Amino acid sequence: MLRTIRIALGAIAFGAFTLAHAAPERAVAIGLQAAITSIDPHYHNLSPNNSMLLHIFEPLIMRDPNQKLVPALATSWKAIDDLTWEFKLRKNVKWHDGSPFTAEDVVFTLKRVPDVPNSPSSFATFTKPIVDVKVVDPHTIVFKTASPHVLLPSDLASVLIVSRANGEKATTADYNSGKAAIGTGPYKFGEYVQNQHVILKANYGYWGGEQPWDKVTFKIISNPAARVAALLSRDVQMIETVPTSDIARFSQDANFTLADKVSNRVIYVHLWQWSDKSPPYVTTKDGKPLDKNPFKDARVRKALSMAINRDAIAERIMEKKAVPAAQLLADSFYGTSRKLKPAKYDPEGAKKLLAEAGYPNGFAMTIHGTNNRYINDDKIAQTLAQFYTRIGIDTKVETMPAGVYFSKATNGEYGYMLLGWGTESGEQGSSLRSLLATRDPAKGMGVNNRGRYSNPAMDEQLSKALVTMDDKKREGLIQLAAETAMNDTALIPIHFEVSTWGCAKGYRYTPRTDQYTLAMDLKPAK
Amino acid sequence: MSDIAPPAAAQPAPVESPWRRLVAEFAESRMALFGLGLLVVIVVTALAAPWVSPQNPYDLAQLDVMDSKLPPGAASATGGTYWLGTDDQGRDMLSGIFYGLRISLTVGVASTLFAVAIGLVFGLAAAYFGGWVDAVIMRIVDIQLSFPAILVALVLMATLGQGVGKIVVALVTVQWAYYARTIRSSALVERQKEYIEAAKVLALPQPRIVFRHLLPNCLPPLIVVATVQVAHAISLEATLSFLGLGLPITEPSLGLLISNGFQYLLSGKYWISFYPGVALLATIMAINLVADQMRDVLNPRLKR
Repeated sequence: MLRTIRIALGAIAFGAFTLAHAAPERAVAIGLQAAITSIDPHYHNLSPNNSMLLHIFEPLIMRDPNQKLVPALATSWKAIDDLTWEFKLRKNVKWHDGSPFTAEDVVFTLKRVPDVPNSPSSFATFTKPIVDVKVVDPHTIVFKTASPHVLLPSDLASVLIVSRANGEKATTADYNSGKAAIGTGPYKFGEYVQNQHVILKANYGYWGGEQPWDKVTFKIISNPAARVAALLSRDVQMIETVPTSDIARFSQDANFTLADKVSNRVIYVHLWQWSDKSPPYVTTKDGKPLDKNPFKDARVRKALSMAINRDAIAERIMEKKAVPAAQLLADSFYGTSRKLKPAKYDPEGAKKLLAEAGYPNGFAMTIHGTNNRYINDDKIAQTLAQFYTRIGIDTKVETMPAGVYFSKATNGEYGYMLLGWGTESGEQGSSLRSLLATRDPAKGMGVNNRGRYSNPAMDEQLSKALVTMDDKKREGLIQLAAETAMNDTALIPIHFEVSTWGCAKGYRYTPRTDQYTLAMDLKPAK
Repeated sequence: MSDIAPPAAAQPAPVESPWRRLVAEFAESRMALFGLGLLVVIVVTALAAPWVSPQNPYDLAQLDVMDSKLPPGAASATGGTYWLGTDDQGRDMLSGIFYGLRISLTVGVASTLFAVAIGLVFGLAAAYFGGWVDAVIMRIVDIQLSFPAILVALVLMATLGQGVGKIVVALVTVQWAYYARTIRSSALVERQKEYIEAAKVLALPQPRIVFRHLLPNCLPPLIVVATVQVAHAISLEATLSFLGLGLPITEPSLGLLISNGFQYLLSGKYWISFYPGVALLATIMAINLVADQMRDVLNPRLKR
């Protein structure tokens, strides 16, 4: 009897001893807002995917939390002449399966990007400028472009490199199942269930050093209230996009910390300028079409911008998680002009401008916008309507889900369009080019110019900037183009969203301007 | 003893009109009277909303976002007082509730009236004609009733779009079947009775038999169901608005006001949801109290 007890005690003591010495698994769970549609890095160019796949795969050049370009799989790069770029690749990088990373993998990736079948939104725009690739040695590669292409490093930061050995015959389904999801990144593929979760395991052989987590579980929790509840119950240790209505609640609670940062997303208004006809949903006060298009008149556009009290929206609607905007990117970004300041709230001045433009009694219009895409989008639309009603424009509001809204806005079915735009490249030239350049899809100009604003002076400054290789000179030209457009109120910028992450006590997140949620930036708080 | 008053029975019995009897029986329940009083106050407030509200909550020029989310009793920028606070757009909650009641009652009453009218025609037709007419109508009713009302309403609102008129259409669609079924069952019973036989023997025209003889005798159960369904229609409208499918966001009804405030509950701004919720509760409760007593009064089985 005594003997048995002794053995049992010994066993317990031994068990306690081993438990104390086996390091506990460092696991963390993160609540995400949007579903990940694929693990194939070249299938769907979508922010949530791009953010998730940065854990498994890496680009040649990475963007840091402030969207400055930093070396990743390439250690250095330079333009040899206007049409030639040389990239030096990182040595001693291993794929998750142990094979070495070489220039051949880059060649294979560039070949694969344009022919992924059924891609809903292709990455080919980023690789298209490259017309020829030459491998000098396993760790040196040279790219040729048809015309000077200054944005090549920025473009390549959006292309994740896959391995030739695993990717040669792999389909999107092979990536989703994890079979081909072999990258060089800090985390390995664990499990992927669309609309539910993604599980990642630490890559202990990562070239960039050890990660703080052994296992990371990303849970998709689209409903904001459910996401908040998950954090409150510690079901997850961090959530992205804390609803503004709950910010007061979290900031008062010592058990949680918030991390926030001005994002690269601007909330703005496109005004319908497709023709001289009366724009859709813009009429006289008794419902008849106007005899001309008021939005073609810069004075009307300026009045519509001056009528907005941006500080009130930022403070009251966004709970201070927004910064009033004067251009398409916040001041810290490349190509932004310090001369541009947010339009001052001046309803009397706006009325005067409207009268000058021939609308002393205003007109009637409907604001169209989304109700599920941007932070507080439907509330912003309502508040805008308040401001316009005050300067004598009878304003109605119609908001709808993004799925319905965007295609109609793209077809020019709305007059006053409330929209948002995130500049992934982090430099203002690309957003001016996409949103405000005279529309010419073949040249990639004005692709998202839903208002059809057109200004030859700005087009010229912008085209010049796009072929100027010197960084300083180019920035000056982009700033000039931005000033030309914004002083003409080409669109009405409202504010930059401030993205917010909420962490449980004991965790610290380094916030990013690109709204990405990366486990690499989540650390245990000291 | 001669000074004893003559017994009541000896007096000529007052000619008791059925209406007066109904009123007397209704007044027997204090709860019902309370409910009726509350309902009258609510209806009068709703009707008088434009004159008693401090602000027109649907006129965007009168809202000020700088006054948003103020607690009850706070002073407004223009010198007034927000007795019940303001919502996220700076809308006075008290005015919002008065106008919201207006929408809720309009939608509730209008949709019930239309649904009763439609249900009545189909129910009577089914009962009177019987045979295949009955079978077809009642199978349609069965199918209609086998779907949850909220689901049908959601689908309809998603296709029709927003607006008071469209909400009424959706509510009529989901509610007419209840009335059709109610009126059919009572009409089936009445149809067997001698007075209908007599009318048939007299060779009266069919519409006259149906509408002058059959219909009036089927009404009591219908009135009871309709009163309960008004409350149901109001809560269904609030549910649809809460889900963002009812009315335009610039013209909130009670459901939309509650939904707007719902997001702020965890942040301690209770008043945005709480007071419209109380108003909705009071309205539905008042209607239900009245409806309960009506059922008791109109039910012959409960007659003493």
